[in-house]
Amino acid sequence: MGKKLLKCAIIVVVSIFVVYNSIYFKKLDEVKASANKEFNATAYARNYLDKKLIPSIGTIPSTDSLLSILKQNAPNAFKTYSHAMDIGNIGYFMSKGQGVVTSIDESDVSILTPDKQNIKIATEYIFGNALRDAPGIININDFTNTGDLNSISSELDKIVRNEVVPPFKAKVKKGDKIEFAGAFELNKEHLNLDNIEVIPFYLKIQ
Amino acid sequence: MKHIKVLLLLLLAFTACKNHDNASHPKKMAVIVSTLNNPWFVFLAQTAAARAQKLGYETKIFDSQNNTALETDHFENAIASGYSAILFNPTDANGSVVNVLKAKKAGVPVFCMDREVNSANAATSQILSDSYSGCVALGKYFVQTMHKKGNYVEILGIVADNNTWNRSKGFHSLVDYYPGLKMVAQQSADFDRNKAMEVMESILQAHPDITGVFCGNDAMAMGAYQALVASGKAGNVKVFGFDGAADAIQAIKENKVTATAMQFPKVMAETAANYADEYFKGKRDFPKKIQVAAEMVNANDIDDYIAYGKKN
Repeated sequence: MGKKLLKCAIIVVVSIFVVYNSIYFKKLDEVKASANKEFNATAYARNYLDKKLIPSIGTIPSTDSLLSILKQNAPNAFKTYSHAMDIGNIGYFMSKGQGVVTSIDESDVSILTPDKQNIKIATEYIFGNALRDAPGIININDFTNTGDLNSISSELDKIVRNEVVPPFKAKVKKGDKIEFAGAFELNKEHLNLDNIEVIPFYLKIQ
Repeated sequence: MKHIKVLLLLLLAFTACKNHDNASHPKKMAVIVSTLNNPWFVFLAQTAAARAQKLGYETKIFDSQNNTALETDHFENAIASGYSAILFNPTDANGSVVNVLKAKKAGVPVFCMDREVNSANAATSQILSDSYSGCVALGKYFVQTMHKKGNYVEILGIVADNNTWNRSKGFHSLVDYYPGLKMVAQQSADFDRNKAMEVMESILQAHPDITGVFCGNDAMAMGAYQALVASGKAGNVKVFGFDGAADAIQAIKENKVTATAMQFPKVMAETAANYADEYFKGKRDFPKKIQVAAEMVNANDIDDYIAYGKKN
């Protein structure tokens, strides 16, 4: 009799344990909210610009020194200074510098740096992943789908086009001395150091 | 007691046979591909199979014919037939997740090639093309060659595939900033050459004044070009594709197609097969997702490229 009671008690306890741990109750509106939770690319891009890119200006290499290293040993320069989320030939470099404006056209402001390098600062085609990928701090595996990842570039570029470029473009003129920080893209298979176009995130007329 | 001994002996004998069976047959890799009706995917599938064979595996290519139901059958067959890994080109970013999970449950690792599934943890690794960036570059060249004005059409790929929208979004992320460029029609042709030709014929009747067409892949670009030739408008309309397929590369050389974005299917297929091989050798820490860069190719640098990848 005692054995039977003990057996029943164990079965009841095990059953309660299994049932308790098998059923969860959640509010329907909480579940719906969780399912519809969308990645906020605008907020992410704003935070990325303010908290990551701008504070990095003090530590990123100058365009003059980067070009000098690229001319001496391009594979090593790619290995040390470039980042890319993709595998392949494209590398993105963070860089900063200063120079005198030599010409202004619809798409770029051209400058001559202290080392006599001709650099273009993009003012029209500010698109793509250069600013997102050049610092090498975003991990693709933190995102469920690549659409979210791409929207970071899209929103970041939009901020630069709407907030960084217009006040600069409105005032800059030939002969001005300017400071910049940004990122540029190079193809290691088709290395062309004579046509560097920097996508800026910081521009200042001295 | 006697029965237990007999059972143990039988169990031992069965285990020995099973081990012997495993040792005598090499592991097998299944290559399940969305369609073999497009040379680009034929190249992807055959390259994956060739790499797996070189690594010592038996392989079989399964054609899903852009049909998720058929894809499900292939997964069930592959799992039941003892394939140890699946090199997978999905048909549907959402619809294919269930198939990958089925394989995962059966202990069969899945390595996605070129197209992704919308799940962070279903596949062991996803090796994808960076369609978005490739189309940002194409979009910039589109704006420059169209001189920022004109009516154009977009022919989309399979609407359930993420690549379709990554390409479209990459292109529009730039082109939409130019109000002089007006998209007068946007239709899907499922990445299919013949469908693209039909879609283009129909669009041309309603919009005979277009000067540009952006297609989500090269097969559709070639189909659209055929329709333009038939209507006598080939010389007036700039055609843009995506893939770097053999006929599109030739068409760029002949000034029939303006530009494409070169993908590197060899890199994706071989990486997937290599990863599967490393999985069997014990490796488990694979990147959940890696992207392969796509490079814009036009008449200026066409001689530096061959179909499906760059000249070495």
